[in-house]
Amino acid sequence: MTNFNWLLDGSIVGLYLLVTMVAGLMVRKYVGKVEHFLVAGREMDVYLGIASLAATEFGIVTCMYTAQNGYEKGFAGATPGILNAVAMAAVGLTGFVIKPLRDSGVMTIPELLEKRFGPRIRWAAGVVIVLGGLLNMGVFLRTGGQFLVLVAGMDVRYLEIMMTALLVGVAVYTILGGMLSVLITDFLQFVVMSLGLILVTVLVLMNVGWERLVTTVETSYGAGGFNPFVNPTMGWQYVLFNLMLNTAAVLTWQTMIARVLAAKDTQTGRKVYTGTSFFFVCRFLIPGIWGIAALATLGPVANTLEAMPRFLNTAVPTGLMGILIAAMLAADMSTDSSYMLTWCSVIYNDIMAPFRKKPWSEKKGLFWNRTIIALIGIFLLLYGLWYPLKGDLWTYLGVTGTIYLASISTLLIACCYWKRANSWGAGASIFVSAVIPVTYLVMEQLPGTAATAKAIGPYYSGIATYLLSGAAMIIGSLLKPSGQLRQEAA
Amino acid sequence: MNHWFWLLLTIACVVWYSTITVYVAFKGAIDIKNMLARLEATKKREAEKT
Repeated sequence: MTNFNWLLDGSIVGLYLLVTMVAGLMVRKYVGKVEHFLVAGREMDVYLGIASLAATEFGIVTCMYTAQNGYEKGFAGATPGILNAVAMAAVGLTGFVIKPLRDSGVMTIPELLEKRFGPRIRWAAGVVIVLGGLLNMGVFLRTGGQFLVLVAGMDVRYLEIMMTALLVGVAVYTILGGMLSVLITDFLQFVVMSLGLILVTVLVLMNVGWERLVTTVETSYGAGGFNPFVNPTMGWQYVLFNLMLNTAAVLTWQTMIARVLAAKDTQTGRKVYTGTSFFFVCRFLIPGIWGIAALATLGPVANTLEAMPRFLNTAVPTGLMGILIAAMLAADMSTDSSYMLTWCSVIYNDIMAPFRKKPWSEKKGLFWNRTIIALIGIFLLLYGLWYPLKGDLWTYLGVTGTIYLASISTLLIACCYWKRANSWGAGASIFVSAVIPVTYLVMEQLPGTAATAKAIGPYYSGIATYLLSGAAMIIGSLLKPSGQLRQEAA
Repeated sequence: MNHWFWLLLTIACVVWYSTITVYVAFKGAIDIKNMLARLEATKKREAEKT
C-alpha cells in the first residue's frame, strides 16, 4: 500500500513540472549562438554555478546507488563521497588543471588537447569521452523510472512509459534552451531537491532513530559497516580505486568541467568547485542513511537497489510524498538535461570538428546541436531498455566512467604540466584506458568469462587502468623520436 | 558515543542542507537576474551592430 495520493501529491508534482518547463522554455530567446547554447555565453556566476553543479551531480540514479551502498555496506558506503569532496576542494583551492583549462578559453576538454597533441588526439579523446559518458548515462533512465514506479506504488508495466515521459520532458527544454535552460531549471531543481532531501532525512532520523541505524549496521556488517578498510567487500583496493576515480572525475568529468567552462572567469570556476565540495559528502551520506533505514525496517531483500524506494513507499506520508517525488524528478531532470547537453557539446565541438573545415553559421551550428541532443535521447531510450545491469550500480558507473576518466585525466595533466608529453603518449594512453574497462565489461557479460571477471573484480581492473594509462603516456611520449617532435614544434 | 565520526558527518550534512542551501538559493536567484540582464544587453548591442 503506497502513501502516494494522486490528488494532493499528484498536484505538487504537476505544479513543479509546469513551473520547470515554463522556466526552461522562457530563456530560449537568449540563445542566438552556439556559445550561448553550450556554455551559456560564459556568463555564469558562483552561486548559480554551485546550485547547477549540485543539482546536476545528484540524480535519481545517484540516490539509488548511494542508498544501495548504504544498504549493502553501511556508513562505509559513503566513502566515495568523502573522497570526492576532498578531491574537489583540493582542486578548487589550488586551481590544479582547471585553471589552465578555463584560462585557455576552450568549450570542451578535447579542444584544449588539440593544442598540444593535434587534431587526431582531439577526435579520439572526443570519441572516448562520449563512449564512456553515454554508457554511463545509459542506465540513468531505467533506474529513475524504477524509483518513481516503486515509490508511487505504480505497476512496473508502466516503467517504460515513465522512462519515455521523463526523457521527452527533459529533452524539450534542453533542445530549445541549451545550457541557459539547463542552468535555470537546475537552479529550481536544486531548491526543490534540497527541500525534499532535508524533509525526508529528518523524517527518517526521527522515525527510525540514530541508535537503530547504528545498531543495524553493527549487527549486519560489524566494524566493516563503519570502516571501509576492514569491510570484506571494500578494502584498500576499493578506497584506492575510488580515490583515483573521484580525482579523475573532478578534473575531467565533462558535466563538472562544463560549469568551470561556463563560469564568467577562472576565479569563479574555482569558487564553484570549492563551494560545491561538501555537497558530495551529502550526496552519498544522505541517501546512504535512507538505505540503512531500509535495511533496519525491511531486513534482507532480493534486489538491494529497490530496497530504499520500497522503504520510502510506506515510510513517507501523503503530502511529503509529493514533495519527495517532485524532488527526485527535479534531481533526475537536472542530471539528464546536463548530461545530454554535455555529451552533445563534445560530439559537436570535437567529433564533428573534421567536418567543419569552413566555419558553420550559428544557425546551422544550433540546428546540429539540437539534432544531436535528440539523437542522444533516442539512444538512451533504447540502451536503457535492453542493457541488463549486473553487480552494483556504483561499480558499473565507475567502470564505464573509467573508459575515459583514466586517459583524459592523464592527458589533461600531461598537457598542462609535462613539456615532454606528445601525441604518441596521448594515443597510447587513450587506447589502454579504453581497452581494459571495455574488456572487463564484455567479460562480465559473457558466460564463459564471467567467472574470471568476477575473480579480478572491478577495483583491481580499475586501478590497473589508471596506472597503465599513466604509464602508457610516459612510455609513448619518451619513445617518440626527437626529430618528429622538432618537426611538430615547427 | 560510538561512531562519532559518522554522527558528526550526518549532523553536518543536515545543517549544510538546511542553511547553505537557503543561502545559495537566495544568491543564485540574484546571479540569474544579473546573467539574464547581461545576455539581454549583449543581444541588444549585437542587434544594433547589424
